[in-house]
Amino acid sequence: MNNIFKFSFGIFSTLAVAWFAFVVGARKQFGDLSPTSSVLNEDGSIPEDSDLYPIAFSGAAQQGAEEYLSLGCATCHTQQVRLVEAGFDVERGWGKRPSVARDYILQNEVNIGNTRVGPDLANIGLREYSDEWLHQHLFEPQSLIEKSICPPNPFLYDIKDSNVSGALQIISEDNTTRFVKPGIKANRIVAYLQELRQDYELPEMSFVEEEEPVTSELVTIPTTSTKLPSWLSDQISSGKEIYTKVGPGGGGCVSCHQPTGLGQPGVFPPLVDSDWVLGDKERIIKISMHGLMGEIEVSGVKYNGVMIPPGVPPGSLTDQQIADVLTYIRNDWGNSGSAISPEEVAIVRDSVKDRGQMQMWTAAELNSDK
Amino acid sequence: MKITDEQVIDKSAKWVVSFFVASAGLWLLAAALLAYIAAAKLTDPFFLSSFEFFTYGKVKIAQANAFVYGWGGNSIFAISIWIIARLSQAEVRGRVLLLVAGFIWNIGITLGLLGILDGHMNSHEMLEMPKEIWPLLFISYAIITCLIIVLHRSRKYSDTIAPQWFILAAILWFPALFLIAWNGLEINPSPGTVQSVLSMWFGQNLIWLWLTPFALGVAYYIIPSIIGKPIDKYYLAIFGFWCIASLAPWSVVHHLEGGPVPMWIPAIGTVMSIAMIFPIAVASTNFHATAFKDIDKVWNSLPLRFVIFGTLSYTISSYIGVIFSLPAVAKLTQFSIINEFHFNQRVYGFFSMIVFGAVYYMLPKITGKEITIAAKTFHFWTSALGVMMLLLAYLIGGLTHGVLAQQPDLDWANSVIASIQPYFLITEISFIILGFSQLVFVINIWKVLVPNPFEDTGRSKKFASKASTV
Repeated sequence: MNNIFKFSFGIFSTLAVAWFAFVVGARKQFGDLSPTSSVLNEDGSIPEDSDLYPIAFSGAAQQGAEEYLSLGCATCHTQQVRLVEAGFDVERGWGKRPSVARDYILQNEVNIGNTRVGPDLANIGLREYSDEWLHQHLFEPQSLIEKSICPPNPFLYDIKDSNVSGALQIISEDNTTRFVKPGIKANRIVAYLQELRQDYELPEMSFVEEEEPVTSELVTIPTTSTKLPSWLSDQISSGKEIYTKVGPGGGGCVSCHQPTGLGQPGVFPPLVDSDWVLGDKERIIKISMHGLMGEIEVSGVKYNGVMIPPGVPPGSLTDQQIADVLTYIRNDWGNSGSAISPEEVAIVRDSVKDRGQMQMWTAAELNSDK
Repeated sequence: MKITDEQVIDKSAKWVVSFFVASAGLWLLAAALLAYIAAAKLTDPFFLSSFEFFTYGKVKIAQANAFVYGWGGNSIFAISIWIIARLSQAEVRGRVLLLVAGFIWNIGITLGLLGILDGHMNSHEMLEMPKEIWPLLFISYAIITCLIIVLHRSRKYSDTIAPQWFILAAILWFPALFLIAWNGLEINPSPGTVQSVLSMWFGQNLIWLWLTPFALGVAYYIIPSIIGKPIDKYYLAIFGFWCIASLAPWSVVHHLEGGPVPMWIPAIGTVMSIAMIFPIAVASTNFHATAFKDIDKVWNSLPLRFVIFGTLSYTISSYIGVIFSLPAVAKLTQFSIINEFHFNQRVYGFFSMIVFGAVYYMLPKITGKEITIAAKTFHFWTSALGVMMLLLAYLIGGLTHGVLAQQPDLDWANSVIASIQPYFLITEISFIILGFSQLVFVINIWKVLVPNPFEDTGRSKKFASKASTV
């Protein structure tokens, strides 16, 4: 202890041991993660043609991340959904699954934070907020959430006297009305917030299953009425089996559209009371054969996602199965539509026989064919 | 009058120590002002909201940096130089160089804080000042460190004692931690959450391996000096020292519980945090067994009263910290404002109180002027009240925050945050009290350091003697 060099050596070695574990060890263990697909092949390789996650931010969002950092937003907002054992973040609806290290590898500024005076933002982009809502919240949170203690950021906006194009109308608590135009920083921040979404599964972490009381309720709802002709009730019960079965021979529809047929707000459109289900038969048959991608409006709400062709493996449903499952969804949860026969499916299939199996339809394409 | 060796040493330290104490005091006031602004913004979000310069996040982070590097850094330099000089029985050398380095350090922090407020914040814990500032700070720190080591090497007796170990270790750990963090975050940055682990490791270690050992070293020096008795069970001190050295760097990452990092990282942190009860118990035994042999002195000597407040606060809140690192409790309080409790108990309740005591003990010796008892007493009671209110508000508020946040059905803004609003108000009041208290402290030291041009000592003495005869 008396020789300063020996002393320094001692105190630096105790530090070095911890450094070795937390810095060198951690870096060795998870410093070289790379994007991967949701499901891996059995030998651990990434299946060909699969989408890789996480996805890098767009340029605007990347700039938004820097604005978010420089304004100090991370002081009150975390961006991490904790493991189910460690907290109730998933139950609170802050994410579909816990966050993992791989989610952050493409971010230049990792803002995971450590205090939550405001809500977690790891999945703010999944929560169906429109750009206008986010701008309004950024301008003056109290005009949307009365008790919010989030500070307003009026300096990010041009306040106008009258309604000019691109301006938002803000009505404050005291009923004063203002028109504000987002500045470039505000636009970047909103682009960033909209891209904060961990809506993909990774080999190391899948979505947390919802609690299942919903299905038990469903069992008690009679789906087949004794008054129906037997061929129809047969078709409906066979269709229900295809709808709910996730695995070979099934359709797997239930995993997105849910046992209730209501889908998931903002992500998966509902089948209940939907014009797409109950309207033109040709459209829905086409979707059942090849899937659907891109923007689609259902019951007045816009969705933007991908529906792979139903069936396991995708697109494997036969004419009879498609007819059954479509008849089922047109006649459950209060829907009431005419039955679809295998012959009708066969005619549609013949009309698009040149189309590739994985060539998904878009809503615009389907509507223009009509 | 015969001039003793100690007076020669104190005289050699006078200008350097005065400079650092005065700068520390000014930073303390700046931090107090920023702390008040941040606290006021939580109770009224519209307060100063139209200035981009003063967003809550920026002010809060600028406050932490002003406090740790401005107040903490300067007071560490001042007190270390004096204590090491006293213990080495050697005169302070390289005084001009020390002053120049100290000047650069303060310029660097000023620019750094302006950088944060101007929107050039860095994302790493306690490294938020802009990147360009850090080489400046590092060089000035390195100069001061080298001169302190030179001072220590010129000591008359080769045997070293506990205050020297703790203070020198603190002085040397900071640049090591900084280089590790700088290498892993800026020179060859790691991707993703490896960065978060490293930045949390640095930020927490800064408190545990820089501020904490320094303040413990000061307590090891001041308590026996004032009490006039050796440290009780002194043989334990070396065990306590190496416990902190080997456990603290492991224990600081338990805040990542359940987060997007491999599970072994928070798990090791938790185990090591629990093991920290040993060094805490050692320090507590050493300090309190010594001080409570002479409870009258603790009460009557203000410097000692400050120091003992600090060590008691260290003991109690470190044990609370151990409890909060247990996974079952961490699950509740993680991410809640209990984090503010941990930070403030360490920098206010422990570090600052000991520094106040040390400054009050040191300044009269090096300047030869006394500080009035009433002013010191007022400072003590306002500080004690402010700190206790602040810590209780964060502790109870943090528990409420954590428990409510664990109920997924409660609405966030309207239920969870609305129920901790009253605690934010209490913290705002505490920061006002603390601000006043710190203003008194700065006036106290200012009066001693800067000669008052309006005061004619000769005449006022004559007047006083006349008055007493009347």
